[in-house]
Amino acid sequence: MLNEWLLAFARWLDTFSWSTQLHESYYMYAWIESTHVLTLMVFLGMLCVIDLRMLGLIFPKVPASVIAEKLDKPMMIGFAVMIITGFILYFAIPVRSTQSIWFRIKVVLLIAAGINALLFRNRMRASTDTWDLDRVPPKRIRVGAGLSLALWSGVVVTGRTIAYDWYDCHKELPYFMYWVAGCVDEMASYQ
Amino acid sequence: MDVLFFFEWLDTSLLAQISKAYGGVFAVVQMFHLLSLAMLGGMVLVGDLRLLNILMTSVSSEEVIDNTQKWFTVALTVMIISGIFMSSAVAMKLYYNEMFWAKMASLGFGIAFVYLIRRPLLKYDHDTINPWTLRLLALASITIWFTVAASGRWIGFS
Repeated sequence: MLNEWLLAFARWLDTFSWSTQLHESYYMYAWIESTHVLTLMVFLGMLCVIDLRMLGLIFPKVPASVIAEKLDKPMMIGFAVMIITGFILYFAIPVRSTQSIWFRIKVVLLIAAGINALLFRNRMRASTDTWDLDRVPPKRIRVGAGLSLALWSGVVVTGRTIAYDWYDCHKELPYFMYWVAGCVDEMASYQ
Repeated sequence: MDVLFFFEWLDTSLLAQISKAYGGVFAVVQMFHLLSLAMLGGMVLVGDLRLLNILMTSVSSEEVIDNTQKWFTVALTVMIISGIFMSSAVAMKLYYNEMFWAKMASLGFGIAFVYLIRRPLLKYDHDTINPWTLRLLALASITIWFTVAASGRWIGFS
């Protein structure tokens, strides 16, 4: 049922002339995608510095809370631009993106990374007084930072693989793959 | 000097055989390329925004530069190694791609800028350096590395 809803929503977005124009516009689409990738350097770059500090690998003499606090704002600016450009890119190619396994995994990983970031932030704020000046933070903080880097790595790789058509609906795939990708029409013809 | 021979060799090398045959391996290497790009961007931005007195002003600029330089080198090394592997998959196509050469030129310029100008200059006490020199250094660094990243992305569009 969810697959049908998502596809119906994507097909509705696809009816907008702006969606087609954006997709077919060589320069506009390329600029938006370039901005999306370049803000990766801002958002993920800042996140890398914070997570490396939480892993005890960078800025050992600077309190962890200082790093997290000072880099939070530019990181969130990068994140906001990434999300906005990401939505525009989805709007330009809604149907294929909705039926892309990689896009779906990316969205799940994004949600997981968001939940991890919230939990990590709360855990850090609650306990930072006890280890703020430690060169290497406690294990639970290091695990959170490692998980954060792993999840965002997943977001990056799945984001990049959306471009590949390995598991697109027009390919011959097992029923399970059609279901995961949300290939509603192909699933119907299978039965 | 024409480097066509190098691209012809790369196109038939073991690296090319792996990168062309195994899409999964290519995707993983590409992940490392993009992650190292992000890390490099983070190190450049944190260091240069500190030199511009915008970010982490409560920490000395020497401390920030010292810490970010190490990880910049790590990121650059991973980027170059993974970049060579990725290039092997489309070596001949890249040889005739103008944007690829724009990226190589900006990358070469960026490496020369970091190791021949930025680092030697920032070894001195930052208080003894003219503040405008530091600002120009930071702005040039951000511009160069964002140009490297942008031209890299445009290889795919050209």
